[in-house]
Amino acid sequence: MNLMNADPPEAARAEPDDEMMLDPRVQESIGRSLKAHYDDLVNAPVPDRFLVLLAKLEDTERRLKAQGGADERA
Amino acid sequence: MSAPDFKDGLIAEIPNLRAFAASLSGSMQLADDLVQDTLLKAWGNAEKFQPGTSLRAWLFTILRNTYYSLYRKRGREVQDSDGTYADRLATHGNQESHLDLADFRKALAKLPEEQREVLIMVGATGLSYEETAAICGVAIGTIKSRVNRARAKLAELLSIGGVDDLGPDRRITAAVQRAGPETVGS
Repeated sequence: MNLMNADPPEAARAEPDDEMMLDPRVQESIGRSLKAHYDDLVNAPVPDRFLVLLAKLEDTERRLKAQGGADERA
Repeated sequence: MSAPDFKDGLIAEIPNLRAFAASLSGSMQLADDLVQDTLLKAWGNAEKFQPGTSLRAWLFTILRNTYYSLYRKRGREVQDSDGTYADRLATHGNQESHLDLADFRKALAKLPEEQREVLIMVGATGLSYEETAAICGVAIGTIKSRVNRARAKLAELLSIGGVDDLGPDRRITAAVQRAGPETVGS
């Protein structure tokens, strides 16, 4: 993958001891915001389309199995 | 294969898949298309999933590969015309955090993809560094370095470089960024 090549020069500059660069309070704040961002999305209501899709897939599979079950076992 | 168990597993992961897809693509609409593709692929390849391993990690791998092969370009186009989901989605605010959620999301969207995805995986999804490294197909050290760079970049974008903490300047910066064309990061 050439994703690494897409890095801007500043990224390389920040690399050596970036472990030490950030104030722990800043890290903590970013961590909390990250969770808030993600949890907000996770808690959003899930559209029906996914459950409908999976029910259809399951249904199709069940029907195929019922049809071909004898063949598979033979 | 136990289809009902597998199906229940998929259903349980949908909220996480959507959250990750939205974080990757920057669009809720794209995220849902991406999740649908992921579920279809997962269903079609169910026999390849190894029971006892993390279903979430397996699904994230599929979702991520699908995103990079099919959706990435579309994502940019949608963002250019509609703005990001951050503009529409962020309503809750977040009083416990010093950072405003909407501002945070704008900053997050400006990170290079490879940094944003690992920051989300490691910092929010509960996936380990090892799992994240496997999902991305890179070494753990690379993940750590990307996470650190992502944090540093976020701090910079949010003007919380560590000195005056989360001061009022940040809001002004955010307002300026909101008003200007979204060309950061080229």
